[in-house]
Amino acid sequence: MAVDITLLFRASVKTVKTRNKALGVAVGGGVDGSRDELFRRSPRPKGDFSSRAREVISHIGKLRDFLLEHRKDYINAYSHTMSEYGRMTDTERDQIDQDAQIFMRTCSEAIQQLRTEAHKEIHSQQVKEHRTAVLDFIEDYLKRVCKLYSEQRAIRVKRVVDKKRLSKLEPEPNTKTRESTSSEKVSQSPSKDSEENPATEERPEKILAETQPELGTWGDGKGEDELSPEEIQMEAEIDSIHQLVVGATENIKEGNEDIREAIKNNAGFRVWILFFLVMCSFSLLFLDWYDS
Amino acid sequence: MAAAAAATAAAAASIRERQTVALKRMLNFNVPHIKNSTGEPVWKVLIYDRFGQDIISPLLSVKELRDMGITLHLLLHSDRDPIPDVPAVYFVMPTEENIDRMCQDLRNQLYESYYLNFISAISRSKLEDIANAALAASAVTQVAKVFDQYLNFITLEDDMFVLCNQNKELVSYRAINRPDITDTEMETVMDTIVDSLFCFFVTLGAVPIIRCSRGTAAEMVAVKLDKKLRENLRDARNSLFTGDTLGAGQFSFQRPLLVLVDRNIDLATPLHHTWTYQALVHDVLDFHLNRVNLEESSGVENSPAGARPKRKNKKSYDLTPVDKFWQKHKGSPFPEVAESVQQELESYRAQEDEVKRLKSIMGLEGEDEGAISMLSDNTAKLTSAVSSLPELLEKKRLIDLHTNVATAVLEHIKARKLDVYFEYEEKIMSKTTLDKSLLDIISDPDAGTPEDKMRLFLIYYISTQQAPSEADLEQYKKALTDAGCNLNPLQYIKQWKAFTKMASAPASYGSTTTKPMGLLSRVMNTGSQFVMEGVKNLVLKQQNLPVTRILDNLMEMKSNPETDDYRYFDPKMLRGNDSSVPRNKNPFQEAIVFVVGGGNYIEYQNLVDYIKGKQGKHILYGCSGLFNATQFIKQLSQLGQK
Repeated sequence: MAVDITLLFRASVKTVKTRNKALGVAVGGGVDGSRDELFRRSPRPKGDFSSRAREVISHIGKLRDFLLEHRKDYINAYSHTMSEYGRMTDTERDQIDQDAQIFMRTCSEAIQQLRTEAHKEIHSQQVKEHRTAVLDFIEDYLKRVCKLYSEQRAIRVKRVVDKKRLSKLEPEPNTKTRESTSSEKVSQSPSKDSEENPATEERPEKILAETQPELGTWGDGKGEDELSPEEIQMEAEIDSIHQLVVGATENIKEGNEDIREAIKNNAGFRVWILFFLVMCSFSLLFLDWYDS
Repeated sequence: MAAAAAATAAAAASIRERQTVALKRMLNFNVPHIKNSTGEPVWKVLIYDRFGQDIISPLLSVKELRDMGITLHLLLHSDRDPIPDVPAVYFVMPTEENIDRMCQDLRNQLYESYYLNFISAISRSKLEDIANAALAASAVTQVAKVFDQYLNFITLEDDMFVLCNQNKELVSYRAINRPDITDTEMETVMDTIVDSLFCFFVTLGAVPIIRCSRGTAAEMVAVKLDKKLRENLRDARNSLFTGDTLGAGQFSFQRPLLVLVDRNIDLATPLHHTWTYQALVHDVLDFHLNRVNLEESSGVENSPAGARPKRKNKKSYDLTPVDKFWQKHKGSPFPEVAESVQQELESYRAQEDEVKRLKSIMGLEGEDEGAISMLSDNTAKLTSAVSSLPELLEKKRLIDLHTNVATAVLEHIKARKLDVYFEYEEKIMSKTTLDKSLLDIISDPDAGTPEDKMRLFLIYYISTQQAPSEADLEQYKKALTDAGCNLNPLQYIKQWKAFTKMASAPASYGSTTTKPMGLLSRVMNTGSQFVMEGVKNLVLKQQNLPVTRILDNLMEMKSNPETDDYRYFDPKMLRGNDSSVPRNKNPFQEAIVFVVGGGNYIEYQNLVDYIKGKQGKHILYGCSGLFNATQFIKQLSQLGQK
C-alpha cells in the first residue's frame, strides 16, 4: 500500500535548510523566502476564470442545499398525522419550483458566459483544454442537481394527477373515457411527455407507497432532465420574442398616427399658400388699377 | 470460516482491483474515493512518465480519468504550459531525469499545488534534491503530499501481471542469458525485478513462501527478494505488511506460494504456434497492454501492377475486462470463437428486430381504439427497449470489434497455414508418431514464413531425446537456409541443449492428442461468415506445460524428483535461510507463478485451465516481460550470433 512520506519530505526540507545555512549558501528560502512567496502570490491575478468557476460551483451548491433541505417537506405531503411543521402548502411548493428554476437559469447562463470568455486571451492549447473540461464538469454538476429538482417535481405532479384521477374515479365500465380524461388532465400538466402517461393508469391504490419505482415507468425522467436546461432556455427566448412583438405593434400604431397628422398638416399648409398667392396677385391688380 | 474463505477469495482474486483502487485513491489526493452523486466537482491535472502511462492505461480508460476529475493528462517530459490554480498529481518513477524535470516544474511555478507520487520508493538523497529545489523556488508549501505508491508492475488481467513494458529489453531473456554479461549488469537487472516483485507483494498485502529451482537466475531473484522482504518485516516501525495495509488479507490464514521459474526450463512454449484466441492475437497481431493495432487495407483487391499501394487504415481496439465476449472466449480455441461471434451477431439482430417491431407497433397503435389497453403494455416494452438501447449499441460495437480482430487473425492463419504447424508441433511435443516428415514441411514453399519454419524446427530440436545425426542436421540446415531462415537461433539452442543436458533431463511435455475434425462442413454449416476453408478444426486436449506441472507439484506438495530440490524461503521465519524441507505440509490455496526471462499467453492460458478444475484455488501469473514468438526468435538469434 502507499506510504505517506510527506513528513519525511518536510524533514528533508529542514535538513537542507540547515545545511545550506551552515554552508553559508545564499538561499532563496528561509524567512525572506516566505515573504517572497506571499509577495509572489498576491500580485498574480487570482485567475479570473477559476475564481468565477468556483463562484458558480458555490451557487450550485447553495441550490443543492436548498433543495435537499426542503425536500422532505416537499415530498411528504399526505401524512396528516404529522405535525404542522411538516406540511407545506402548494403555494410554497410553487415558490420553491420557481426559485429553483430561476436559479438554474442563472447558473446555466453564467456557465455559457464563462465558456465564451474562457477562450479569449489564452493562446495555450493545454489551458484551453483544461478550461473546457472544467466547464464540462460544472455543467455536469448542474445537471445532477437539476435531477434532484426534477425528481421531486415528478413525484409531486404524479401525486396531483393520481389524486385527481382518484377523485374522478366513477364505477364506469368504459375504460376509454377514464383514460381519455386522465390523459387530458395529464396533458395539462406542464412539462410531462404525454406518451408516457398512460402507463400510470394501473395501481391507483399504490399512490401513497412506492413512488420511487414508478418513476421508472413515469416520464423516463432521464429524458426530461436532459431537456430541462434547454426548456428553460426556450422559455426565456419565447418571453423575449413576445416582448419584442408587443413593442413592435405599439411602434406601428404610433407611426400610423403620425402619418395621419402629417397628411393633415400638409393639407392645411397648401391652403395657406394658395391664399397667399391669390392675395398677392389681387394686391398687384389693385396697385396697377390705383396707379393708372 | 465461510466469511474468512470468502474474504480470502476476494483478497486473492483480483490484483487488478487492488491496483485500480490504489490508483483511484492516489488520484483523489490520496484519500479513499467515495462515489457521491451530488458532490462538487474537483479538478486536477495528471502528470506521468512512460512507466506511469503503462501502468495506468490497462486499468483506467480516459473516461474513467475524467470521472475522477482529471482535466488534462500529460507526459512528464513534454512541453507543459503553466495552468494557474490547479492541483497537479504526479505519478512517476524516481529516476534522475524525472526528478530534474520535477524540480524544473517547481521552479517555473507551473501549477498551484503538487501531489507527488512515486511508483516505487524514492531514496533519501533524491528526496533532498526535491526539497532543495522546492526551497530555492520558495514552493515548499505548494508540495502538498509526497507518497511512495509501490505500484511498479503492470496488471493486464485479473490474474496476470508483467513487470515492465518500457524497458523490456533490460530484463529480457537475452539480457539475462548473455554470455558477456557482467556482474554489475546482472545485479541491476536482478534489482529491477526484485523491486517490482516487492511492490507487487506490498500491493497484494501478503508475504509469500518462496520456492525456486537451484542454479538459475530465478534463484538469484529469490535470494534478493527474500532478503528485501525480511528486512522490511524486521523494521517494525515502517513495515509495509502490518496493520491496515493488509486489509482483507488479514483473514487469510494461508500464505500464498511464490514459484520462481526461469525461462530456461521450457524454451519450446514461447516458440509454439498456438490455437487459443488471446494467444493467437498476441502471436499474430500487434498486441500490447491489452490494445491491439490492426491495419485494414481499404483498397481494391486486384490492383494492377505498378499501381499505388492500397491505403491501409490503422485501427486500434482495447480489449478490456468490460468486454464480456473477450472475457468469455479469450481462452477458447479459434473455431469456437468464430462460432460464438456468429451467435452473438444473430442474437443482436433478433433484439434489433424486436426494437424495430415495437417502433412500428407504436406508430399504428395511436388510431386503433380497441387496443388502447395494450398501449400501457407496449409502453412498458418501449421503456425497456429504450433503456436497453445502450446495451444493444455496446453489443454491436463489441461484435464489430471481434469480427475485425478475428478476421485479421484468420487471414494470417490462412496465409501461413498455422493450423498445420500447430498440429505438427503438438505431435512433436507429445512424442507421437509424425505422419509427415519434418523436412517436407520445411521445404514446402507456401506453408508459413521462414520464421514459422524455424520455430518448428527449434521445437523439434528441443524436444527430441537424442540429437539428430550430423547428416540429418546438415540436411535440415540446408532446407532451412533455402527457405530463407537465419540459423543463429539454432546455434544458441544447441548450446542451451548441451547445457541443460548436463544439468538435468529435458522436460517432457506430457501426453496430448489432437483430433483433427475434418475440413469445412461440420463447423461451418452454421453459415458463419468466416469461411475457414482448409482450416482444420483442431480440438485441444488438456496438456500440462512444464511450468504448470512444476506448480502442481509444489502446490499440492507432491513429491517429484524435478521439484524436490527446489530451495525454500520463508521471509517470516526468524532464523536461517533455506532448508530444503518445507515446514508447511498443507497444500497451498493461492499461488503466484513468476517466470524470470519472459512469459507468454500460452503458459497463462494453461495455468488458467489447470486451476479451473480445482475449487477454491487461485493462481496469479507473472513474468518479467511478455514476448511473442517473433520477438523471442530475434533474441535467440542475437544470442546465437556470439
